[in-house]
Amino acid sequence: MKNIYFFLSVILVLAFSLNGFSQAAKPSIMVFPANIWMTTNDYVTTLDNQGTSTQIMDYQKALNNNQELYSVINKIGGLMKDRGFPLEDLAQKLKDIKDANALDNMAQNTEGGGVAESPRDKLLKTARPDIVLEVTWSINTRGPFKSITFDLKGLDAGTNKQVASAGGTGQEVMGAPLPVMLETAVLDQLDNFNAQLMTHFQDMFDNGREVSLNVKVWDNSPKKLNDEINADGDELKDDIKKWVKDNTVKGRYTLASSSPNMMNFTQVRIPIYGEDGAAFDADAFATKLRKYLRKSYQLPAASSAIGLGKAEVIIGGKSQ
Amino acid sequence: MKKQFKFLLIFSVITSLFSSNIFAQASKKADIDTREWRYEIEAVNTGVTGTYLVKAWSYSKKPDVAIEQAKKNAVHGVIFKGITGHSGVSGQGPLATNPNIEQEKKDFFDAFFADGGKYMKFVSSSNDGAIEAEDIMKIGKEYKVGVILSVNAALLRKDLESAGIIKSLSSGF
Repeated sequence: MKNIYFFLSVILVLAFSLNGFSQAAKPSIMVFPANIWMTTNDYVTTLDNQGTSTQIMDYQKALNNNQELYSVINKIGGLMKDRGFPLEDLAQKLKDIKDANALDNMAQNTEGGGVAESPRDKLLKTARPDIVLEVTWSINTRGPFKSITFDLKGLDAGTNKQVASAGGTGQEVMGAPLPVMLETAVLDQLDNFNAQLMTHFQDMFDNGREVSLNVKVWDNSPKKLNDEINADGDELKDDIKKWVKDNTVKGRYTLASSSPNMMNFTQVRIPIYGEDGAAFDADAFATKLRKYLRKSYQLPAASSAIGLGKAEVIIGGKSQ
Repeated sequence: MKKQFKFLLIFSVITSLFSSNIFAQASKKADIDTREWRYEIEAVNTGVTGTYLVKAWSYSKKPDVAIEQAKKNAVHGVIFKGITGHSGVSGQGPLATNPNIEQEKKDFFDAFFADGGKYMKFVSSSNDGAIEAEDIMKIGKEYKVGVILSVNAALLRKDLESAGIIKSLSSGF
């Protein structure tokens, strides 16, 4: 009997500790050279897309040929790792994509026309960083003196909102090697950038993670979003709005657009933790809505997510 | 002869006690100045990885006290005040983002900034402690002294994070 009590106590203690130690899903960060840097340094390929010329950023070429870019990404990566935020490596991710033949698909799509996503979007979908850290710099020359203008910009890949930025022009120096000047520029700006990033994370803990949610309807769905669901004349989309309100932190969301076939929610503030205390993200939020639709209306639906910040629910069946 | 020696001994003991008392009082006053934010801190250059090279301006009737207090002020400024930048050198925000943290963790910071306290671990003199002539100014009865110091902000941040005083970038994840 004593053994049973002891066993039960151990289980209880473990359960409480696990609950106490549950942590929010950590956003992943990836450094990208900014488009302006890519263009200035001629790492772009111009394609003729049915008469419209489209510029494609060639990240692989930039990483293969530009030592400065390699050094800057490396330096930022080292400093972020020191702060407990190891970065996802762009070069490694590009290699993964190449291995999976994804780049070939990208080329076919871009050359074939009618592309709905840019190669960068494709890359973001595959790499799935939650925060894109864009970096750019330029060298200013005045006689024998040189200085570097350096800029960092953090974008939430889920919401496309700028979450942090830092930048400025360093001191004019004479004779300093460029790698040293670049390293100084990174050191000069990264702490301020991280301070803003921390404010963003704190806001996330206080007000929930900001995600976007798209609700769509298959053509053959038994119900459309404007179908009435009760005698009061409430439509399915009214109930979905109510569900989103009830399941967000302080009921915060914006319905950016809606039609009988789609609802586009933005600035949806979902809780960091689920009811079970486990980490909660856009995918878990979409899954919860999918299950609600099944339980309340016997509607089959498919749910999916991109990273921690973008989710989609398609009503009326499962995706292929 | 014996009388003269006795007098000299007593005189020197009294004088040294008196001067050390004055020094202690000046030092105490400088500590109050630090707590009341009566100092300035500005960026000098970007230091090596994790360090800030700053000039801390302190006030005291005794230049020696002001020079010594500059170390406390530099660390205090990096934690609570942030560093003012200038052309070519970016300023830095304070490590502590909670404006009330100094009061909330008073016991910790009293010990931290005590004479010979832990703050010493994170600051070191630059230029072997040499101060340029234009960095010592007499204002009224006081001296205003600017000392260039190197503050190991990365180590300081880690120390404050592990003590639970400030949150780390990855806390909560």
